[in-house]
Amino acid sequence: MGAIRKKRFLRTLRTALDRSVRPAPAFESLFPDKREAARAALLTSGRERSPGQRQQLLELLMARADPLNIQVQALPDRAAVTAAIVSLVQTSSTEWGSDKAVAAWSHTLLAALGLDAALSAIGVPLTVVAHNDRHWTRQRVIQSDVGITSADYCVADTATLVMKTRPGEARSVSLVPSIHVAVIGLDQIILDLEELYARLQDDLLKGGEGLGRCTTFISGPSKTADIELNMVHGAHGPRALHIFVITGDGT
Amino acid sequence: MPPIQRENYRAAARAALRDATLQRALADVQGRLGPGTAAAYRDLKEGPALRRQAHDLRMRAVENLDILLERLADRIEARGGHVHFAATAADAVAYALKVVRQHDVRRVVKGKSMVTEEIGLNAALEAEGLTVTETDLGEYIVQLAGEHPSHIIAPAIHKTRAQVGRLFAEKLGMAYTDDPAKLTWAARAALRQHFLNADLGVSGCNLACAETGHITTVSNEGNIRMATTLPRVHLAFMGMERVAARLEDHDILLRLLARGAAAQRMAGYVSYIGGPAAGDQADGPEAFHLVILDNGRSRILADARFREMLCCIRCAACLNVCPVYGKIGGHAYGATYSGPVGAVVTPLLSGVHRFADLYHGETLCGACKEACPVDIDLPRMLLELRAIQVAGDAAWEGRGASARERLFYGAGAFMTCHPALYRTAMGLASRARKVWSLNGALRRRTPVLAGWTRTRELPPVAATSFRKRWQKDPEDKSPRFGAPGGKR
Repeated sequence: MGAIRKKRFLRTLRTALDRSVRPAPAFESLFPDKREAARAALLTSGRERSPGQRQQLLELLMARADPLNIQVQALPDRAAVTAAIVSLVQTSSTEWGSDKAVAAWSHTLLAALGLDAALSAIGVPLTVVAHNDRHWTRQRVIQSDVGITSADYCVADTATLVMKTRPGEARSVSLVPSIHVAVIGLDQIILDLEELYARLQDDLLKGGEGLGRCTTFISGPSKTADIELNMVHGAHGPRALHIFVITGDGT
Repeated sequence: MPPIQRENYRAAARAALRDATLQRALADVQGRLGPGTAAAYRDLKEGPALRRQAHDLRMRAVENLDILLERLADRIEARGGHVHFAATAADAVAYALKVVRQHDVRRVVKGKSMVTEEIGLNAALEAEGLTVTETDLGEYIVQLAGEHPSHIIAPAIHKTRAQVGRLFAEKLGMAYTDDPAKLTWAARAALRQHFLNADLGVSGCNLACAETGHITTVSNEGNIRMATTLPRVHLAFMGMERVAARLEDHDILLRLLARGAAAQRMAGYVSYIGGPAAGDQADGPEAFHLVILDNGRSRILADARFREMLCCIRCAACLNVCPVYGKIGGHAYGATYSGPVGAVVTPLLSGVHRFADLYHGETLCGACKEACPVDIDLPRMLLELRAIQVAGDAAWEGRGASARERLFYGAGAFMTCHPALYRTAMGLASRARKVWSLNGALRRRTPVLAGWTRTRELPPVAATSFRKRWQKDPEDKSPRFGAPGGKR
């Protein structure tokens, strides 16, 4: 039934396009990869960034994040990140429940932060996403005030976090809690969307994981201007977004 | 609510002009977003010329839609998603009802989607006994008020904060406030419950990618992410033309879309969705359905004059600069799509004759083409539509001009082709000019021309015709067009 419908639908298009060639040309021949050289150049320049250039990207990110209401903090090491998260959790107010709670991805960078101990010292429970129990994860994420994730990339020019979905890296952690914190290393900052797409395309062509079931770009906390064009933060998703950049060697 | 088809352009436009609140809101949205978008194009590293590149890229995709859609569907199906090709609106709605029954859905949350407005989805789901909640703040306001969106990306732009305050006080049982932040947060709290309780999330999509097999959703509020992450089923709708070929094409398209829609460098949230969540993922919908809609688009595709219209990515940049939209607002267009894009797409989708007022109402000033992120020549197509309406065109049910209009222009053509007759007629007109100019009211009351003369001066015929002046002295450069006392 569906197959017949699809065939009929596509035949209508072929008639409309007056496509006489049969069989129809292949995707690869119609849309050849014309950007191979440009992409290679972008990838090389991205790999060979000097510490000074990385610092410049961090500064660009900060400049672009500010008007978007994203708080970027450069922190020297993991201990400083943990302290910053604890301080943020302590000073933030709960929006939906009465007790403060934090949810985090199951992720190597985050696991090394020692958040469980640091948060339990201030009496706040930490939920680390368990992919084998969807129901439990959902309930705990809904009850959390702060969601902690990492990211695949952070695009400086547009202040965009890029996140693929993997088993322990639930989509809801960056979405449902009132405050979203993303922890990244300095070397995850890239220049602009052109460089991002070059990397995504390269990964795709090399048979990498691609975009998978879901890949999300986040460029700021949730916002709306639907009432008389007044900008308000916190329409549905997080009302605040913090990016913590580890500038040291990640220890 | 069925799709609005009021076809009452003139009356609605007149009412809009008298609405001082609407006039302020429209001036505000155009004053901010129009120049903002132009500045955002200049800020591109490639400059505004990138729009031309985007046009070519979109056109090439449209010219290979059959191949791109097949690839998109194959990739999504390979990940366990379901793809339904819907030839008509009724077909798309029937499939949605099937999905709803199959998954035993009771509560539906929706991300903003013009295509679901086009097919009248909400009415069909409500008739099935389902609760349907729009979650984009503007759409939510419009839904609570029992109205329809008046702008593609700012659906409630026609409502003031005080109106929203009264609406929320009545419908959400909160204390009256006109503070946009407090109103937004009240909607946030109310809608959060809807997101958490919903079985089905419905979304549109801004783009799709054939190479990878994903749809791309764009929002600033995060409501589309909520609607496509929390409910156990995701049902997405796309106009068949939205697909791009390669992943890298999205670099250009997304940058231009954000600028065209909201004068931003990048939209707040962009998600690529390629199927249901995998079994080892901790959240995300267990089932994913994509409906690819034709509903008259293949007819546009088949006509070389209008194929370009399928490049449109529905960003609403043209609304934000259009002098006509800026005065009459979205509701006057009487259909899902308003502004210059609506003036072309609505007649093509729903009837060239029925919606003739729309393309006659636009000014052909060209502002929409300048503002379009994919450089679509809307003024050209407005003219093509007018030509079809006058000359008649079987493919578009263009009926041709009325008998009176044909007689009028036929007589004019005959006269200009017969010099002796032309000279005699002009001579008579010149002699009659004194009577004609005696009383302006007489001119204004000339019934056949009333549509023109009610708001314009019809200058009397000159005392000495141009032909006579030319014969007497071809070097004469004195500005003596029109009669003394005439407007020019």
